Amino acid sequence: MKMSILFVLACVLASCQLTNYVPPVTPQMATARKGQSVNLAILHEGRTLFAHRCIECHTLPVVWRYSSKDWPDIVDSMSKRASLKPAEREAIIAYIIAVRSAEH
Amino acid sequence: MKAALCAGIFVAAILPALSLGGARHFGFIYEAPTSAPGSFELENWVTWARTTNPEHSDQVAFRHEIEIGITDRLQASIYLADWFYENDPAKSGFTYSDSAIELIYNLTNPVIDPIGMSVYQEYRGGDRFFEWESKLIAQKNLGPLILAYNATVEAVWEGKGLTDHEGEFQQAVGASYEMSPRISVGIELLHEFVFPKWRDEEKIRNVFIGPNVAVRHGNWFVTVTALAQATDTPEEADFQLRTIFGFGL
Repeated sequence: MKMSILFVLACVLASCQLTNYVPPVTPQMATARKGQSVNLAILHEGRTLFAHRCIECHTLPVVWRYSSKDWPDIVDSMSKRASLKPAEREAIIAYIIAVRSAEH
Repeated sequence: MKAALCAGIFVAAILPALSLGGARHFGFIYEAPTSAPGSFELENWVTWARTTNPEHSDQVAFRHEIEIGITDRLQASIYLADWFYENDPAKSGFTYSDSAIELIYNLTNPVIDPIGMSVYQEYRGGDRFFEWESKLIAQKNLGPLILAYNATVEAVWEGKGLTDHEGEFQQAVGASYEMSPRISVGIELLHEFVFPKWRDEEKIRNVFIGPNVAVRHGNWFVTVTALAQATDTPEEADFQLRTIFGFGL
């Protein structure tokens, strides 16, 4: 009984850990979106801000939970409470959309 | 008058930039992330503690705290006032306890790095009372699950001439699962080693355990934790209920 509880717990933790909620920035992300290229430095900043500011209130969702169209509004709705400046908000959105674009 | 005017102008100048410092998932455990720079938040704590061994008594403690994000990694808090109401066979009434300043410096991130770490320092002073508290905060976020650990060392000087002293080492561990972006539920466990007169002759060990729930929306959050004593130490609370209500100004 004890072993099965530990096994289930280990599986839950492993499944949580296997998902990368903040994938590292790759050169492919900068050009993944058709017809647009993004500065890699902005993507790095967006990743850092996404991982630092958003977790002050809640855990991070996987980026494909919401569509690329929805993400700007979602980030906008919380940008004031996360003290995000306009450029920081844009960097987070750019990073999320770049991750999503690179996945497909 | 001039000072009040200056303070008013300062508050009016910074108000448009103010925002929530961050929501708490735990009532008795600190988390590694620090508040965003420029954020400004008021937190009110209410802790009800009931003791039945050796005598029945109740205490309701209040804290009013201002939390300020200084830089990306540094957060400062001012405890404007800690005060309490107590009701026991010997006395009952309100008492001012102390005020304090707290600093938290974030070292690593709980999502990107293997473990998120922060260091914490607090100085607290009141009438014939001084306390120094240091804390190491560790946290790991695994998707919707937050695991947190605190190791705390504190030293207290009190009484006339601050001649009475006591030390404490505390370990706290907690888990919080985010059911939705607005609601989290979890569990907290505290393990205390108390050293009266900075000695361990009495071998005082206390263990508290209980559930928590945190709700957040817009610019505010509420976190409630109920802890029961799993040991049987006299003069320690059998039951504690803490509520923290925070909102960005």
